[in-house]
Parts: sequence; structure tokens; C-alpha cells
Amino acid sequence: MVDAGFLVAQLVNALFYSSILFMIASGLSLIFGITRILNLAHGAFYMLGAYIMYTVMTALPGGASAVLGILAAGALVALIGLLVEAGLLRRVYGKPEEVQLLLTFALILVLDDLAKMIWGPEYKSLTTLPWGSLAVGDYTIPVYHLVAIAVALASAVGLWLLFSRTTLGKKIRASASYPEVAEALGVDTRRMFMATFMLGSALAGASGALAGPVLTAYPGMGTEAIVLSFAIIVIGGMGSILGALAGALIVGFTRTVMAVVYPVLEVALIYIVMAIVLLVKPTGLFGGREVERR
Amino acid sequence: MVEVSMEDVWVEIGGVEVLRGVTIKVEEGASYAIVGRNGAGKTTLLRTLLGILKPSRGRVTARGRGRILDMTRTPPHKLAELGVGYVPQGRMIFPDLTALENLEVAYGGPVPGDTLEWIYTILPELKRFIDRKGMYMSGGEQQIVAVARALVRRPSLIVLDEPLEGLAPRVVKSILDALREIKASGVSILITESGTISRVRGIAENAYGLDRGEIIYSGDLDGLERDPEARRRIWGL
Repeated sequence: MVDAGFLVAQLVNALFYSSILFMIASGLSLIFGITRILNLAHGAFYMLGAYIMYTVMTALPGGASAVLGILAAGALVALIGLLVEAGLLRRVYGKPEEVQLLLTFALILVLDDLAKMIWGPEYKSLTTLPWGSLAVGDYTIPVYHLVAIAVALASAVGLWLLFSRTTLGKKIRASASYPEVAEALGVDTRRMFMATFMLGSALAGASGALAGPVLTAYPGMGTEAIVLSFAIIVIGGMGSILGALAGALIVGFTRTVMAVVYPVLEVALIYIVMAIVLLVKPTGLFGGREVERR
Repeated sequence: MVEVSMEDVWVEIGGVEVLRGVTIKVEEGASYAIVGRNGAGKTTLLRTLLGILKPSRGRVTARGRGRILDMTRTPPHKLAELGVGYVPQGRMIFPDLTALENLEVAYGGPVPGDTLEWIYTILPELKRFIDRKGMYMSGGEQQIVAVARALVRRPSLIVLDEPLEGLAPRVVKSILDALREIKASGVSILITESGTISRVRGIAENAYGLDRGEIIYSGDLDGLERDPEARRRIWGL
């Protein structure tokens, strides 16, 4: 008989991990869905979020510093996203994909080195998580995990509201379908792309901030995150927020369950699932039809 | 009111000169048809006029609401703010937005009730599918939304690129009726047409004939049919 406390603890673990993955993958998917830029440096933005969280939490003690750290990571990484979009990526919109990939790959190297210069090459971890923990039978559940899950849920609802209920969200969707037509009808598409890039970057920064205290911050930590994010958006469907949520839950639960049941296949099974989805539904579970852009 | 003009405009796409020294003027309160065969450069001309394409040389200017815009340097959305609506070729309705949301995007916010009522008086069929997503509309319904979308800012000029192309006769009649009503309400029209000019009679009183990127006729619409050069180069008569 499996212990109920163990099951609850594993469920929270899976949800926590899925939450982190959802936030990073939804940002990546959003940026690709709207601007058609596959931003390899998205993982490096996630890493910066983790470092910003570490800096804030070591400078200011107490639970409030964690909230401040998440907000600061989201805001600062959004600002970095703005600089990257306006200074670099705007020049490669519509250019061949290899140009975009090379540019964003170069950005990973630059940001990784920048992190080493500022924070050093060693792992940065916190000894304790804020807000304590709850006891469930013989097991404990960190309240921090529950907060992270709530933040991810709030992000999902916020994104849904933005894109379905606000004119800004509809303008962004219109700019994704036919940018030239949207522009001629009065939409400042350049601003829409910029806003999208900032939002996607903020999600990467906030997800890094949430993950940092649990997974530790280190140079290059974005690489694993970006590879898993690609798997998630392939499973869920490029450009779909709902797809990112479904993909994150599938990957998060697969990995958590396999880590307990059969660790040898912990990572491999994720890519097996991805391959099956690609074979059965190449556009992903929630990927729609591709709109030809002019 | 809005006035737009092109002066000795040359446009090159993929190494091919698609427009060659085009000069046209769309004056306030007047309506024009740009008539030419398929591939004559009509769509390129409109896209250049709107600032979507940038010419290799020449001037494109828009005047209205106390402002003068150099469209060779200005992003196209500024022209919409000046009071120019646009119906693109192939309709290009935003597929995952409803008809009302398509209008909301073009208006820049929730569409005021009186504006929507005004559009319903011109395009009464729109009411039937106002909450339907673009991807679930027929071609005719999409064209009605495309025209409504161009009207939602209450423009002084609307630019329509082959709005009758590929539509059933019943829908063509609906769109033509709507365009006559739009013109009667004081909105100027600039429309492209690759077929006969009879369809645009009553919508445009002036015409430019376009062939292989060159303006070959400029004058009143009926004069185009009588001009021997235009007859030969546009209709092969």
C-alpha cells in the first residue's frame, strides 16, 4: 500500500516542476507564435531570473524578499528582453531561420559569461526555502512549492485573459496572423512584437526566480530548461498557451513519476512521448492550422 | 479629408521593376479606379501608397487632419490614423478572431455602438455573423467583414484591392451596393479592378490605367474605355 502522504508530496513535486516548465515554455511559445523568432537565449533569461532571485533573497532576509525577488526577476528580465528585441532581433525578423538561431545562440554564450562575471562560476543555492513547510503524514511539503504553483496558475489565467479579453491581446493575435494587414489597419505591429517579447522574457525571468531557490542557480542552467521547453511546445503545439500548459503537465508528471518508478527512463520517456505526438499529430496537441503570413 | 499622391515612384521586387515612374493623385472627395490586367502592378501600387512597400525612388505623400506624412519613411499604421481604411486582396480576415474582434483590432478598442449601427446600415448582413470567427466564414462573409473593418475608424478614404475577386454574383451585388452607399456618405474610394469597368461605374468617376508598372491612362472612368492605347494594352482590343 502506497503511503498517502508520499503520494501528496509527489503530486506537489510534479505540479511544482510542471509550473516552472509551464512558465518558461509559455514564454518561449508566445514569442515564437507571435514573432516567429525561435529564441534559443530564452533559457539564458531563465538563468538570469534564478540569479536575480538569489541576489535579492541573500540581500534581504524574510519571506517578503522571495516575492520581491520574483517581481524583480520578471521586471529586469523583461527589460533585458526589450533591449535584445529592439537592439538585435528586430533586425532579423523575416530573415532566414539560421540567422536568427545563430544570433540567439551567440546570446546564450554572452549571457552565460556575463553571469560568470557577475556571480562567479560556482552554484548559488539557498540553505532554506521561505515560508516553512506543511506536514502530510511522514512527509513535508514546502509552502514555497505551493506558492510557485499558484504563481503559475495566476500566469496561465492572466495570459488567457490578456489574449481573449483585451484589445491589446487581440491586436497581438492579429499581428501574428497577418502583420502587414494589421499594420495597415492601424496596429503598431512593431510595438506588439516588442510587448510580446517583453512578456515572454518576463515569464522566463519569473520562472527562473521560482526555480532558483529549489534547483540552485548556475551558469548554463538554461540549456536543460530550453531543451525541455522545446519538447513541451512540440507536444502542446507551437504558439498555444493551452498547449504549453498541457505539455508542461505531461513532462512534469512523466519526469516525477519516472524518477520514482524507473529513473533510467526519466528523461528518455519525455522524448519518446514527444516523438509519438509528432508522429500522430505533427502540429502538437493544441497546435492549430498554420496561417500563411504575408 | 485625406489626399494621397505618388510622384515618379519606382518599386523593385526581387530584382524586377514592378512600378516604373508611377505618378497618381487621389484628391479629397474624389473616387478612383485603378484598372489593369493581372500582374500589371495594381496591388504593388496600393501597397506602396499605404507605406507597406518602400519605393527605390520617388515620393509618396499623404495629407489630412492637419498633417503631412512622407509614406516612404512612415509606418503604415500612421496612415490609418490619418483616416485611410484598407481592404486587402484576398480579404485576410484574422482567422481566430470573431468579426466583431476584427473590427475591434482595426478600431483600437471596443467599437462604439453608434459606429457599429452605422456599419450595419451599410452592411446589414454583418449582423448575422458578427460573433463568428473568421476561419468559419464563407468568402463572401469574410469580404463583408473586410469592408466593415476598413470602415470602423470612419475614414475619409478607403482603399480596396480587388474586393470583388472570386465572389458569388449575389455577394458582388451586396458589396457594390455597400460601396455606393459608402461613397454617398462622403467617403472617397480607391479601388482596383482587373475586369471590365462596368462593375466600378457609380463607385469611381476617375480612373488610372496601369500596364506593366506604368500609368498609361489618367482621366475620367468612361474615357478609359474610349482611349485606344488603354483598350489595346488593358483589354487587347
